[in-house]
Amino acid sequence: MDAINVINLTKYFGQLCAVNEISFSVRKGEIFGFLGPNGAGKTTTVRILSGLTSPTSGSAKILGYDVKHHAIEARKRIGIVPEVSNLYEEYSAIDNLLFTGELYGISRKRRIEMAGELLHIFGLYEKRNEKVVKFSKGMKRQIVLSMALMHEPDVLFLDEPTSGLDVHSSRKIKGIITGLREKGITIFLTTHLMEEANQLCDRIAIIDHGKITAIDTPEGLKGTIESVQSVEVTFSEAITIQALKDIPGVAKITGERTSFRLYTATPKVVIKGVVTFADSKGLEIMSINTLGPTLEDVFVEITEGGHR
Amino acid sequence: MSVPWEAGRAWAIAKKDMRIYYLKPPTIMFGIFFPAFLFLSFAVGRNIPLTELIPGLMAITVFFTSSSIGPVVIPWERRTGSFERLLSAPVSLISVLAGKTLAGFFFGVFIAFLIIIFGTVFFGLHIVSGPVLFIGVALSAMTFSCLGILFSSIPTENVGNVMMTLNFFRLPLIFISGIFMPLESLPPVGQSLSMLSPLTYTHDIFLYSLGKVNQYPLPVDIGILIFFLLFFLSAAVLLHMKNMEKA
Repeated sequence: MDAINVINLTKYFGQLCAVNEISFSVRKGEIFGFLGPNGAGKTTTVRILSGLTSPTSGSAKILGYDVKHHAIEARKRIGIVPEVSNLYEEYSAIDNLLFTGELYGISRKRRIEMAGELLHIFGLYEKRNEKVVKFSKGMKRQIVLSMALMHEPDVLFLDEPTSGLDVHSSRKIKGIITGLREKGITIFLTTHLMEEANQLCDRIAIIDHGKITAIDTPEGLKGTIESVQSVEVTFSEAITIQALKDIPGVAKITGERTSFRLYTATPKVVIKGVVTFADSKGLEIMSINTLGPTLEDVFVEITEGGHR
Repeated sequence: MSVPWEAGRAWAIAKKDMRIYYLKPPTIMFGIFFPAFLFLSFAVGRNIPLTELIPGLMAITVFFTSSSIGPVVIPWERRTGSFERLLSAPVSLISVLAGKTLAGFFFGVFIAFLIIIFGTVFFGLHIVSGPVLFIGVALSAMTFSCLGILFSSIPTENVGNVMMTLNFFRLPLIFISGIFMPLESLPPVGQSLSMLSPLTYTHDIFLYSLGKVNQYPLPVDIGILIFFLLFFLSAAVLLHMKNMEKA
């Protein structure tokens, strides 16, 4: 059985179709990335899956429980980390966790144990009795993640889990997410950070204008747009971008001064052209690399019209 | 899901709200100071014994305190996102709202009994029927708490927006419910309108239980308050459900 199964899910707000007959499934224990531009239908999809709103038509199941008809059973099995750290700032760290435990019907003894365990894992045990209003953004994020884990969910929804965090907090949370996958927890990750999705996700779905436009592994997605390869070159002296335009095979150039990225479908041809260009101008090539498409390239290509 | 499960979750929400929101400035302002000053502005300078004023003071206080919790808590939690945390938990919307209602209920009951204790100890307030007074306070607190939950369905994150709208409703009721002026002294239109106000029946029960002259038979007061309670609760659930669909 899949952890999440979505079939022809549709949601209208009045005349506006926010989600348009999308279908996908998420396997147990995988990290599934859900990417899309603002207004693409990501939030609406997550809100339906977490029981916050009902679909207009279609079905969505969490571990076999329909989110509309067996909402309580489905919600028992999910943890949610929303984009906004929605904790109770007047409460201490441990009180936030204990309240969540009580809300999910965990016995008093177990919730005290779980709260202690989670605060230890996140390195916040020493601060357990401090009000979270005094916590940094990263610490609040960790408390929200702890709250989502209090009832040991099978499926975890993470919405921009590291957005706006410093490098250390971000790495810590990513490490914990990876650890959760190893424990068999299914993770549904919504993020704008392409590198984060690339690093963490087993598979990625891209949604645009309410429709799923691609689902594959990060590598598989990159393979769909081989035309977006590029040659990255650094010269010994500054030149203008115009000077590179005559190099054969170049589709687009970005960069300035000494470093440029030349997009092409034929990197070998471009490399030859760059070497010839440098010789003719008496420039030294400090470094030259060929690069495959990044996930960001794929995302832009798909959501800006390349695959629509 | 079973009733004990839902009741347990509602109680958890109520306890949390009581701990967090009872001492929030908007709760104190709209739930305690506002009715207190309103009452003082009426009572000061009039040659009326305090024990005569206590039924009205209790009615206004229960009315304002109980109906203030929902309109403070729900918009506040909408703004912080924690209301969605409750809605995405394994608990029905009815139980979430029941938790919020209980928080308003206990706030109203607590403040009403403070007035009763002060009135009894310091001003010789005489209670004719304790059980009726208790039923009156409890039923009124529950009804007005549901009223607050109903108004908190206004889809806003701003506490002031809900309070302003609620006060448009609450303030006129005070003047047609026999608190500042006996019902028999009201003009015929006022007397007819007073029958539409739940506060009329709360005040009437308090008058009865404190040995004053009241207007309606006790079963009528209780029956009509139960009707208002069910009406406010059903409307609140329906409107909050609609909000979820729109969000």
